[in-house]
Amino acid sequence: MTARRPTVLWGMIAEHAAAAGRRVMIDDVCAVAVSSAQASGAWVVAASSRGPDFVMCVTDQVSEQLAELQQMLGEGPCHDALAAAAPVLAADLRDQESSRRWPAFAPEARRTGTTAIFAFPLVIGAIQAGVISLYRNSAGPLSSLQLRDCLLLADTATVLLLDSLDGGAAPTASGDGTRPSGQSPDLAVHRVEIDQATGMLSVQLRVTAGEAFARLRAYAYAEDRRLADVAGDIVARRLRLEPDAPDIGP
Amino acid sequence: MDSELLTDTFVDLADTMVADFDIIDFLHMLTDRSVALLSAAAAGVVLADPRGELRVAAASSEAAGLIELFQIQNDEGPCLECFRSGHAVTAPDLAGPEQQWPRFADAATEAGFRTVEALPMRLRDQVIGALNLFRATPGPFEPEGLRVGQALADVATIGLLQERNLRHSETIAEQLQAALNSRVVIEQAKGKLAERSATDMDTAFRMLRDHARNTNRRLTDVARDFVDNPSTDFPSPPLRSPRGGRPGPASG
Repeated sequence: MTARRPTVLWGMIAEHAAAAGRRVMIDDVCAVAVSSAQASGAWVVAASSRGPDFVMCVTDQVSEQLAELQQMLGEGPCHDALAAAAPVLAADLRDQESSRRWPAFAPEARRTGTTAIFAFPLVIGAIQAGVISLYRNSAGPLSSLQLRDCLLLADTATVLLLDSLDGGAAPTASGDGTRPSGQSPDLAVHRVEIDQATGMLSVQLRVTAGEAFARLRAYAYAEDRRLADVAGDIVARRLRLEPDAPDIGP
Repeated sequence: MDSELLTDTFVDLADTMVADFDIIDFLHMLTDRSVALLSAAAAGVVLADPRGELRVAAASSEAAGLIELFQIQNDEGPCLECFRSGHAVTAPDLAGPEQQWPRFADAATEAGFRTVEALPMRLRDQVIGALNLFRATPGPFEPEGLRVGQALADVATIGLLQERNLRHSETIAEQLQAALNSRVVIEQAKGKLAERSATDMDTAFRMLRDHARNTNRRLTDVARDFVDNPSTDFPSPPLRSPRGGRPGPASG
């Protein structure tokens, strides 16, 4: 049952995109996260080498304020989530812990009416794509099911952001979001072979780990094979990928 | 049981936890010591990802079959059963006629294992993972061995919760995710190093670990710098240089 939850969530994301009459975007992931976690709003910030610093999408005005506040103050749950490569679950911004942790941000955030913030890093190992955050106007933790959904949605958001590194050629960022076989995209992320293959590909293709991961996905998509299977072939050294001839510039 | 080895193991594990340590490095040490102490063929620590999956945090060897065994366990197997029930679960003869988990039993025997014992990593009423012990011969582990095994599983839990010197009152979910991501960083670094040095994953792991120790840095930090930085130099394969080479400028 749990194993298929990613597919259910992907269905909700695709539906949201279809209702808006366009292809799947990171905004759809935010919208599903808000409804799934019963949050008041959500936002995604892309990471640069300096930290979380490019706002990709916001679901409402308060989200936008919260994103901008953290950028301005240089502190907050988004920064910590990226630095620790772990979620930051601040269930009550009025508590001592939050005030101590974010002396400048916490009071400013409370002024917007925000009481809780949950920030999830969009990371795969050393690859840092950004952060997805949710806020609520009421205090209290996420339930374990909401936490699970948020982590799975963060995986999807990570994949969407990284696919765009590959010039939009990769699966979920294009078309109706289905694989050539007509199935929902392979969102597998957490497999040892995928991690090892990503590292190997970064050498074979002379690219960053993030780009290597995107290329791995694009290849699996083009070949209509499971990501983990392609990764297994690379790790077993049955398959090598060559650097692209027409390189897409930065 | 070798009581001197037992003492050494717990002294070493406790020593490691005093300083700022790396949880994956620690769990690897724990699986290695479990193998030596309990005459096992292999050992692995599996953590429960709140996404609803069991994920390997450390294993005593890279044997592909071992990793696969843990993956199968997301559907069936003693480890999953242990995680669900919170109790130790034994499969004393995986080649026997009646198997509770046939798919798991087939894969385990193919990988050369006949016995497996899964010991829960418990925190109050929550099971956060399991220590798995594999043996190449049939027959259950001795009761004394299992008591030691459970103590090692408990030490793994403590290590996991202690690692991030708790500047903030982090939840278990936050810490589990950080630990699981560390493991991914290390796998990516292993892949990169294995490709660059034309070596296997086990050797790549040892190179990373030796380099971390020689330079007094955390394994995950060494691995992250290596993955992040395209120009990082790395001490070349089998010999450990006394100082180890310094990796290029750290990138953060």
